[in-house]
Amino acid sequence: MTSSPFTQALVVCRKELKDWSRDRRSIITVMVSSLMAPVLVGVMFTQLANRQRSVEDVSIPVVGGANAPALMAWLRQQAGVTITDGPSDPEEAVRTRREPVVVVIADDFADDFKASRPAQVRIVADGSSQDARPKVQRVRQLFQRYGTDIGSLRLIARGVSPVVAVPLQIEDTEVSSAQQRAAMVLRIIPLFIMIAAFTGAMSIATDSTAGERERGSLEALLVNPVPRGALASGKWAAATLTAMFTVLVSGALLFALFQYIPLQDLGLRVRLGMPHVIGSLAVVLPLCPLLVGIQMYVATFAKSFKEAQSYLSFLMLAQMVPGMLMSMSDVKRGVWTYYVPWIGQQAMLSDVLSNELKTPLVFVIVGVVNVALAIAAVRATAGLMLRERIIFGR
Amino acid sequence: MISVENLHKRFGEVRAVDGVSFSAPDGSVTGLLGPNGAGKTTTLRLLYTLMRPDQGGITIDGIDAVRDPQRARFALGVLPDPSGLYPRLTAREHIAYFGELQGVSGAELQRRTEHLLKMLDMTEFADRRVAGYSHGERTKTALARAIVHNPKNVLLDEPTNGLDVMSTRAVREIIRRLKAEGHTVLFSSHVMQEVSALCDTIVVIARGRIVASGTPDDLRRQTGHQNLEDAFVALSGLNEGQEAPGTPPEARGTRLEAPS
Repeated sequence: MTSSPFTQALVVCRKELKDWSRDRRSIITVMVSSLMAPVLVGVMFTQLANRQRSVEDVSIPVVGGANAPALMAWLRQQAGVTITDGPSDPEEAVRTRREPVVVVIADDFADDFKASRPAQVRIVADGSSQDARPKVQRVRQLFQRYGTDIGSLRLIARGVSPVVAVPLQIEDTEVSSAQQRAAMVLRIIPLFIMIAAFTGAMSIATDSTAGERERGSLEALLVNPVPRGALASGKWAAATLTAMFTVLVSGALLFALFQYIPLQDLGLRVRLGMPHVIGSLAVVLPLCPLLVGIQMYVATFAKSFKEAQSYLSFLMLAQMVPGMLMSMSDVKRGVWTYYVPWIGQQAMLSDVLSNELKTPLVFVIVGVVNVALAIAAVRATAGLMLRERIIFGR
Repeated sequence: MISVENLHKRFGEVRAVDGVSFSAPDGSVTGLLGPNGAGKTTTLRLLYTLMRPDQGGITIDGIDAVRDPQRARFALGVLPDPSGLYPRLTAREHIAYFGELQGVSGAELQRRTEHLLKMLDMTEFADRRVAGYSHGERTKTALARAIVHNPKNVLLDEPTNGLDVMSTRAVREIIRRLKAEGHTVLFSSHVMQEVSALCDTIVVIARGRIVASGTPDDLRRQTGHQNLEDAFVALSGLNEGQEAPGTPPEARGTRLEAPS
């Protein structure tokens, strides 16, 4: 009449999955959390692309354009540039974000220009506005180019080579490849996938631990001749499967989305294909067992579902911290980064997405590290289930 | 066959169980009778191996339950208090879950399930989810899953607590049947009538100690009260209006219902 702990763990796992699949709330949670990453990324990229495109076509509101007819004519000849009449109060218009930028030509522009004195062109902009920044930059570049052109002409008129007035030749060499720039943008994606994994696992991780305590079903369950390790592993396996399921759904949607996102418009020459999909999944999936193990351990301390959820929301914030630190500050990446869970996934994902993965061996090592830590977490959870305070304390 | 030898369990300063000894033979019903907070639930928890005694021995069918709780659990069927259910599973699934954990599966599980459903008169609601069950239906489900593996020893903590007449009768019927089949049944209650109607032996417990034990007739004789309720009051010292002060929550029989 006895069955092996392995069979018992399977029985527990199957029951938890069945229970989970009947909970409408947890299914909705999985759907929403797996949609979150693709939707956010889609919106962000589309917006970035639109902004990039809108910079090319710039309309410049000019106040006092009549003071500089030659300049206006030159501007109109530039590709994508249109000139409109500026508002009566340029500062107010920019401050209230009605216009991203307004150019004011001074009244004595013509006199100064004729006398070869610096003639005033005022660019009114709001430095705190992220959206306006590329546009302002483009406007400034246009006027600088006009200034340089006129300056050269004046020097030539005086018999001086314009080269004399250019003591420095400044050249920008962009070191990061287009792919790397893309990877920087893409660095936020792992964060979202990990959040999806976290929320996907949460239902079972809390329901099968704190939930059992709250319902008072834990006592009856523990009376069965099942080793605590088998019980904990069964629950853990079920929660891990839901976490992986969420990751797979999220990943599939994300990469379907990439086929439609105008990455080229961002100046990113990246193609994300099947190798990236498989690589990313190989990075995130091994994290799931550990993530779930920690969740279950923490949730077992909670006496109720609600209590567990509040513990876990702290945990969710905590798991995001390393990732955020990594993307905000440029922490020196060394070999160690790969072996620290979360940071390792972050590093590996950006490697995968920018085609820079050095060796596939890193997958194996990171996988082994994560699974080993996960087993430790499950054992600790099983240990908790022996404590009288946990079994009876309510 | 269950025998308990000088059992002790304390929570901080409170001696919840203080030197309890008794035995419950095969094919008989033993009632653990006592007022609230007397140590009934704690005694049962020690017996079904989820609590470890500070001192003392428990033997279940010859197995030392303190040293080898895992093996003892095979010989036990337990209806704890509380006995929470999973609201999204049906009664049949509850029975199957515990059956499989106990190592009962396939045709044997099928047979046992049908048997229990019929015996407890559960067929009507067995395939509905627990969320909508009445209190009686819940208790029946909890009882059925507890004895799905046909355990030799059955421990029931306040099995009829809060049940209506019909459900109480059904539970009593089960207890009688288990006895007839040769099981050892040990249950706790604070209701005199219940115990006297069912038990071969009554163990009266108060403030963690056994104050009397024997057949209902023995107890009447011991106390000189013809009325069993008076005998109970006299034995447990309730007429002095005392109950063990500062009993911790672990020692009290708390209950919590599954959310519906």
